[in-house]
Amino acid sequence: MSLQQDKSALSDADLARAAQKGDMGAFEELVARHRDQIYARAYSMVRNEDEALDLSQEAWVKGWQRLAQFQGEASFATWMTRIVINLCVDQLRKQKRQRAESVEVLEEESGGVERFMPVTMPNPAAGLERTELRRRIDRALDQLSAEHRTVLVLHEFEGLGYREIAGQMGCSIGTVMSRLFYARRRMASLLAGLKRENEE
Amino acid sequence: MNENLELNLELELQAWLDGELSAPKARRTDPKIVGEEEASRLITELQAIKSALAGNEMARTVPETRALYWSKIERQIQRPAPGPRLVQAPRQAAWSRCFAPLVGVAALACLLLLAVEPYAPPAFNEISSTGEGMEAVTFHDQSAGMTVVWLTDTAPARTTESPDARTPNTEDSEVEVE
Repeated sequence: MSLQQDKSALSDADLARAAQKGDMGAFEELVARHRDQIYARAYSMVRNEDEALDLSQEAWVKGWQRLAQFQGEASFATWMTRIVINLCVDQLRKQKRQRAESVEVLEEESGGVERFMPVTMPNPAAGLERTELRRRIDRALDQLSAEHRTVLVLHEFEGLGYREIAGQMGCSIGTVMSRLFYARRRMASLLAGLKRENEE
Repeated sequence: MNENLELNLELELQAWLDGELSAPKARRTDPKIVGEEEASRLITELQAIKSALAGNEMARTVPETRALYWSKIERQIQRPAPGPRLVQAPRQAAWSRCFAPLVGVAALACLLLLAVEPYAPPAFNEISSTGEGMEAVTFHDQSAGMTVVWLTDTAPARTTESPDARTPNTEDSEVEVE
């Protein structure tokens, strides 16, 4: 049995312990196991392939540097996901600072017109195959502002609560609530639009 | 339309849906208790979106091979950390702090000497000034309009008490004019 096969038989916790002792081979195995998940989380937030690739790799480097802090309370994948989320939030914050104050930015904060849109009753998932539903959700996510998308991703895909999201994003719980509300309303509208588009 | 619903109520309904309210507040906010048709419709919409998103994130894979992806991470990890230069910097600063006043005084003394006798013919070419632990030698060439100051650390080694080690004279400064 080769050394690589030996590593692939180990659990994440065992690999993490070996990596904490300086075993880079063990860390490489962890990267191989979870790289898609970490990259996907970065992509879901920044919506750019190159940026997501860079951020995910930066997250792994930070993970290696901070391995001593990993106590095994959460799973290794969860711990790494938190690192990549932090990097993405920082990146989005930098990008926001670079953007000029515009009507678009103001609308993002106030929720724009979403609040006054009619409630869309049809279930967006009805009659759709899972692959198609995922494709539509992905297209709709592309059209959300970074702030709204981040809150939605952290709540719906990462399962974080309001308080945790506020901590990650450095904003108040009230801001998280309103961003999540507008993000959901906008998603409802976008998915209804995509559904209509498809039916016509 | 939900324009009749207040924003706070909308956010409370959402928090109710997400299980973020305390039990007493959740009881008060329950859409059945709120009783507004608009509230129920809004909850239905939010619930539908929540359910549609659950477990339906598009799967994505790294657009690079395992080896290529790892190679960049490995390079970053193995990059040497910035080293001893940072550690030595304070020591250098401390040295500068000790000698800077002495150097300043010696240089000022030399400039004063030059200023006091500006019209003197090339009566001197070199001034040597010795102070505690330091010798300053000034060379002046009037034809070239050039002045050069050498500062030499003459501090004796502190480990010996031999009087020989204390030369040159450390009590008085002396100025030699040639």
